[in-house]
Amino acid sequence: MLQYILKRVLIFIPTLIAITLLGFIISVNAPGNPEERMVTASQNDGSTGSQSLSQIVEKKRWRTKLGLDLPVFYFSLTSVSRPDTLYKIDDRNEKEAIDRLISIYGNWDDIQKYYKSLNKFYSSQLLFVPDTNVLKQHNKNAVLETMNQLKFEASAIKGTYDKTVIEVKMNKIITLLSSYPFLEKFKPEFEKVRQDFLSIEKNASVWKNYIPRIAFYGFKNQYHRWLFGDGGKFSKGLLLHGDFGTSYVTRQPISDVIYSKIGWSLFFSMLSVLLAYLVSIPIGVRAAAKRGSRFDKSSSIILFMLYSMPSFWLATLLLMTFANTDALAWLPASGVKPALGYPDGASFWEMVKISFPYIILPAICYTYSSFAFLSRTMRVAMLDVVNQDYIRTARAKGLPENKVIWKHGLRNALLPIITVFANVFPAAIGGSVIIESIFTIPGMGSEAIYAIQTNNYPMIIAILTITGFLTLVGYLISDILYAIVDPRISYK
Amino acid sequence: MEEQKINIGKAVGKSESNNDFNFKKFAWRQFKQNKPAYYSYKFLVFLIIIAVLSPIIATDQPLYCKYKGVSMFPAFSFSNSCEIKNEDGSIEKIQYDIAEWKQLDATTIIFAPVAYAPNKTDYNNADYVSPGGKQIFIDKEGNEKPMPTKFRHWLGTGKGGEDVLSGLINGTRISLSIGIISMLIASFLGIILGAMAGYFGDKKLQTSRGSFWTVVIGVVFAFYYGFSVRSYNITDAFAVSGFAVLLQLIISLVIFTFILFLFYLLGKQVGKISFLSKRVFIPVDSIVSRLIEILISMPLLILIISISAIAKEKSMINLMVIIGLTTWTGIARLTRAEFLRISNLEYIQAAKSMGLKEFHIMFRHALPNALAPALVAIAFGVASAILIESALSFLGVGVPPSTVTWGSLLNAGHEQFSAWWLVVFPGLAIFLTVTIYNLMGEGLRDALDPRLKK
Repeated sequence: MLQYILKRVLIFIPTLIAITLLGFIISVNAPGNPEERMVTASQNDGSTGSQSLSQIVEKKRWRTKLGLDLPVFYFSLTSVSRPDTLYKIDDRNEKEAIDRLISIYGNWDDIQKYYKSLNKFYSSQLLFVPDTNVLKQHNKNAVLETMNQLKFEASAIKGTYDKTVIEVKMNKIITLLSSYPFLEKFKPEFEKVRQDFLSIEKNASVWKNYIPRIAFYGFKNQYHRWLFGDGGKFSKGLLLHGDFGTSYVTRQPISDVIYSKIGWSLFFSMLSVLLAYLVSIPIGVRAAAKRGSRFDKSSSIILFMLYSMPSFWLATLLLMTFANTDALAWLPASGVKPALGYPDGASFWEMVKISFPYIILPAICYTYSSFAFLSRTMRVAMLDVVNQDYIRTARAKGLPENKVIWKHGLRNALLPIITVFANVFPAAIGGSVIIESIFTIPGMGSEAIYAIQTNNYPMIIAILTITGFLTLVGYLISDILYAIVDPRISYK
Repeated sequence: MEEQKINIGKAVGKSESNNDFNFKKFAWRQFKQNKPAYYSYKFLVFLIIIAVLSPIIATDQPLYCKYKGVSMFPAFSFSNSCEIKNEDGSIEKIQYDIAEWKQLDATTIIFAPVAYAPNKTDYNNADYVSPGGKQIFIDKEGNEKPMPTKFRHWLGTGKGGEDVLSGLINGTRISLSIGIISMLIASFLGIILGAMAGYFGDKKLQTSRGSFWTVVIGVVFAFYYGFSVRSYNITDAFAVSGFAVLLQLIISLVIFTFILFLFYLLGKQVGKISFLSKRVFIPVDSIVSRLIEILISMPLLILIISISAIAKEKSMINLMVIIGLTTWTGIARLTRAEFLRISNLEYIQAAKSMGLKEFHIMFRHALPNALAPALVAIAFGVASAILIESALSFLGVGVPPSTVTWGSLLNAGHEQFSAWWLVVFPGLAIFLTVTIYNLMGEGLRDALDPRLKK
């Protein structure tokens, strides 16, 4: 038995790694720009389209803090034409533009030259402040507008890979540079950018894209940092300290967010399993014991309909009927407590009493589907048992029917529904996404949806990983429970 | 027990007709006797007809129109406009999708049974008009009149005056195609992987060390040329259309398979070198079982939503592919179990002893007998795919916002409870479709199990 458990735990490890990897792949490819989110909009100083220097510095700080300046994984499958250092480019759009340029032309040396001179030009535009004499000579607003346009066009070129678009934008910059005499001095610099771009096409070596290469990055990568931390500077690492990283939305640690949200989800999933067992075992057993009776037939039909009923439809129907001022306004429509919170100094029981009406409808929706599933499973399992010899023996020796069914039959029929219990904890983490968002329950399900809508990917990886881990543990526990309940099963 | 099952099946066949017993016919007879399942099947056929015909059943473009002496068939036409010469020589252009057909001064005009498009607004009847409520129609002269019967919104309207019945009819097409296409993908994956896992197990698929490692390296190369090199082709296709994505994916898959095949041939030669010719086992079963374990231990809905969030452009094709790629586990598990049983039967041993190739035995001799449980899983799978799609449209994540589906109609009803018709009818449609698939799944399970013969 112990050996079996150990073996299972060992098999867990690759599965868990694969789960975290899958989460990681999703998050790396996800849209959105985390460091941009972290640098709040309030710092925008009004210069349109371009970024102020302070913002760039602030973004850089967040990149290091979140570990986004590292390569993604230990190695990557890339081509001969691509450099190992592409990940160092800060801006996502620029990175993609460069990568696409490489995939079109395949000559990194020229692209690098072009990118460097373009960057030089861009930063010279950022740093350039026309002196006061010049501003006196010309219309001040018009000059500033031209400067802003220059910055905008230059940064737009940095994020573009389409040849025609780049050429159009370059021509525009040339005209902008010609509009004031004091801008003429940038012309040679920009002419170099242009020449560099032309030489990319001239020296194109597309064939390099078709030779694969594996680039190794060592332990300094995002995934390794996520697992083991960076020595406690910004991240402690998941494996040793359970640190899932920082939420992109609230900047809180992910584990704090989960801790504050899991309560209600755990409550509802425990409650629903408890209720489902309480109702479904008697129904399933009775239906099986009196097979073909009216009770069996009607309960079968009702259970089947419940089983096919979409939870969001049932939830909406219930809300429409019982929490609707036009119909019956018996129950509140959303939340788990009054909008103003509990009154001060409310005792636990008072809190339960206040929350009770809020809980009824979500609890029904949480329960009914597993209840239908459980009853049907219970009935089938019980039917199997009732036809066995030892039940006939029990009847033959004159035991009352109730005792035969409930004492001798039930115990052996319980086996299949043990599995369901293993799903309680993973279900709490994954939350019931639909029900929680319909009833606006502040649990893990609504948090998951919110995380997806706001591209809060550290949260999503955390949810996927924890659920995966708990499901695996749940399977192990149910296997062990099987062996305890049924002595015939042995794991050797 | 399982052995017994086969024997009973054969025995029954012999007693009924002495020469040849046709299991398909037998199962179909059994299925027909199961009234709920049989009626579900008939209802499904009806739904499929509606889905196929939906572009001409529920559209605001007339089926036939004669205007100023010119005959038009807008609902059937592929072009979107028609030019009509007036008497004074000027040209009047009618754009089929934006023309005000109902106000058109046409000689004859035949409308579709439901004369509204699903996502077009009818401003005269905006703001949730109930099915039985007062509906307004503006006629050619601009007078306000009560709605004529042929233009009535039979199931009411939504916030902007969208016709609910038209939305339901067009939603049928989306729901059914989501269910069917995603299950096609899922069953392709599930049956192949499950069959290989069950048939070969961990200790049956043998190959030489050399060819094993050649193929492993080949997978890297095939992935590189199939997907890495073409990654921008695929991402750019998302901006075009769902079909472009599908096309690019298929091209990638073809390249992938071709290169893998080349490496397979190469591996055969490499395997002849003395050091590399040592036989090794490929643990197919372990690999597939781990894959299944990974997928089933993740919360399905969250996984699907977060994968579909990656795609910049939302499209139904994406969703079908994603659902297909994440829901094959059930089919694979059942197929695996069935193959595990079949691979130990005598007729497979006989085929092997005759020197047939493994893959030939697997797909020609074992697969037809293992399809039954997979079929049941597919029927249930379609039901759950439809549920997933409508749940996503209900939540408004991962689906294109402009598409009208059952889930999105229900979501509109969730915002306005007084519009009960927006809650009841779409919900009923989802419920009925899911139920008939579930009933058919149950019917199939019973019909394909000879032990339950009536």
